[in-house]
Amino acid sequence: MKVQPRVIGWLLALATVVTVTINQRDVGIARDEVVYFSAGTHYADWWLGLVTFDHGFGGDRIKRTFEENHEHPPLMKTLSGLSHRVLHDKLGIAGELTAFRFPAAVLHGVLVLLVFTMALSLWGLAEAVIAALCLLLLPRALFHAGLACFDAPIMTLWFATVYAYWRALVTNAKWPWRVGVVFGLALATKHNAFLLPFALGLHYLVVAWRAGKWRGLVQFRPRVIISLAVLGPLTLFVVWPWLWLEPIGHVQEWLKFHMTHVHYNYEYLGHNWNAPRFPWHVALVTTLLTIPVATLAASALGAGVWIARRKTAALEHAPVLLLVLSAGASLGPFFLGSTPIFGAEKHWMPALPTICIAAGVGAVWAARRAASYLAALRPIGEAVAHLPRSIPLHDRIAVGLVASTLVLAAATETFTAQPYALTGYNALAGGAPGGADLGMNRQFWGVAARGVLPEIAKQPPARVYSHDASPAWGWYEKLGLLPSGYPDAGWEGSGIAQSGLALVIHEKHFNRHDYLIWNAYGTVQPIYVLRADGVPIVSLYRRSVSVPPNK
Amino acid sequence: MLPALLLVSISLWEVCSTRHAADATPDDAAWNRASEIVRAGYRPGDLIVFAPDWVDPVGRLHLGDLIPIDMAARMDAARYGRIWELAIRGAHAPEVAGLEPVSSNDADGVAVRRYERAPVTVLADVRDLVSTAKTESAGQSGPTLELAEVGFAPHRCIQVIPQAGKPVRITFPQLALGSQLVGYVGLADVFKRRDIRAPGKLEVELDHNVIASAEPGVDDGWVRFEATTTPGAADLTFIISATAADRLICFAAEARK
Repeated sequence: MKVQPRVIGWLLALATVVTVTINQRDVGIARDEVVYFSAGTHYADWWLGLVTFDHGFGGDRIKRTFEENHEHPPLMKTLSGLSHRVLHDKLGIAGELTAFRFPAAVLHGVLVLLVFTMALSLWGLAEAVIAALCLLLLPRALFHAGLACFDAPIMTLWFATVYAYWRALVTNAKWPWRVGVVFGLALATKHNAFLLPFALGLHYLVVAWRAGKWRGLVQFRPRVIISLAVLGPLTLFVVWPWLWLEPIGHVQEWLKFHMTHVHYNYEYLGHNWNAPRFPWHVALVTTLLTIPVATLAASALGAGVWIARRKTAALEHAPVLLLVLSAGASLGPFFLGSTPIFGAEKHWMPALPTICIAAGVGAVWAARRAASYLAALRPIGEAVAHLPRSIPLHDRIAVGLVASTLVLAAATETFTAQPYALTGYNALAGGAPGGADLGMNRQFWGVAARGVLPEIAKQPPARVYSHDASPAWGWYEKLGLLPSGYPDAGWEGSGIAQSGLALVIHEKHFNRHDYLIWNAYGTVQPIYVLRADGVPIVSLYRRSVSVPPNK
Repeated sequence: MLPALLLVSISLWEVCSTRHAADATPDDAAWNRASEIVRAGYRPGDLIVFAPDWVDPVGRLHLGDLIPIDMAARMDAARYGRIWELAIRGAHAPEVAGLEPVSSNDADGVAVRRYERAPVTVLADVRDLVSTAKTESAGQSGPTLELAEVGFAPHRCIQVIPQAGKPVRITFPQLALGSQLVGYVGLADVFKRRDIRAPGKLEVELDHNVIASAEPGVDDGWVRFEATTTPGAADLTFIISATAADRLICFAAEARK
């Protein structure tokens, strides 16, 4: 039975959704997720109320609903809220956390499918499968894809825009209007989408010029440009009722928030960075230390292949240039030294599809070169000659061998890093301990606090200074991950003073929280230290004379 | 052929290396054995340090009961004659730089080394004398004795928040001086350092002469200053200033024999 390539793509997408959904079950709640849960629930209720004629388009209700977290566009929050209402509240087939996070998991599957489809169209099945698997098996991306946040979803919508744009150039049929809508959805996901026109615009100029010089710039595919310029903003407007009240003012407010965003603390190569100028190489080094080494190596080969074949095997409408510009637009701002670097790789994840497609191309090229070499060797060539002629078996064996070792390496990195993937670094760095030796960022968002909840539950009930996990504390209690009797003690000094237990989530700039606790508890000795591959990520302290929780 | 071999080799190396890195850091059993070695030879007043610095929480988990807060928040290590270093991954603590261990053990990956040296004799520690100090030109706050974060490390130090452009003078009357005055100064609070980028300034005045000074910036950490002094009692003044408000300047100093 011959399986259609498209079916393989769908199976890989399904495997991705399942993998992300299972993986996120052990991942703690990110500080920002709590905000998005709340906003998403309210957004979803507003839309549900609208379609069930429970209410109309009243400005007051829109303001009350969409003012919440209006510094981020609504798409993922709305989908999270709808997913929660349907999968948890109505159908009861998913836990609350999983229901909120499920749309991001689905989008990650969509991304794998799109990468597979584009690679299949341009290079072949082997390249497509390897590219898709490389994308699925990225430690940090898998982690982010399991959160109800925007960083993995914008990678999907970014690449979906690139894909739709490319299809629009190739087919010039239905795709021109689709590219505008998809771009609008990207805008409605995260502000990274504003960088997309740099990639698409430059690419368009090149291919349109090649098509017909000055005349080409006007006549090549004008519907694509019109679609991006008109349908993109229009789609954003439609899905974001907050803009209905004051379109220009609220867009300005949204962008101003991000243009003047506070610089959070971020450790990089042993230094705590919280003000520009930042090192120009943050994106480069962080990428080199967080993507599986085998994937990087295959990607480097793929890039070499693309460069070598740029004239001999030029593809229609320069898709390689498009992929490279896509990655460049995503990474570019972080070379300026002024763009905030906190959050690191999550902010330039739209570069990953390009890297993974290059890995697919590079791995298959290397395997086929090896197969050709072996076939040319007489004894092996003769042995292979006796095998069925219908299939280039030596090719398949070589591709299978290279692909399976590549995937094994990526899988090992990816699953070793979970569920604390923000602490994980690749083999080049020396894993999590090597990353710590290099002074690379340990983690952010307070996610790791989930790992100490079982230890807290072993202690006599007490108020807990929950540090960076404070926003998530109520959710941990609600989800039953923490028994009753361990309420959040509150903010910093006063919280520590009222607490009987205290935790510190280890980041360089959080060291001060250890010292606040030492001062209050009279000891430097924690009772438990949560570690990821030996690297401390959370310390738990206990006051020697316990403060009861009801004090 | 070579590219494929390279890819396969890198992949197989990565599989082995990743699993090895994940399991290579000593576990609690190893730390317990290291802790037993230290406890068997420990004497009150011994300094215990860990390397690399990121493993410090694990070290304190196992030996924190032997580390008083003021030892963890020390000015420097010069007053300690015996130092225990517990290190993993071939690291060394800066406190033992240039010293040779008098004993060395390995507890399943945790190196336990003991160092001995002649400690400095401290005649006076200004942190013990804050209550007797005279302050002129009061600042926004201080002087107060704090356990502060300076350069991402703990330090027990005298904190002053001077008003912008208005120096604060803190005089320790008739301080018992030795032949050397050693001190450190830095800017406390990472968020203040992020939001206010101007440096602070500290000058040490003896007999109306500035004998030492330091100008710690936001990325300088715990900055050392020192001066040669004549043994005997004398009024010693620390002048703390900043060009910006809300600058948390924290210092410590010892008069050494």
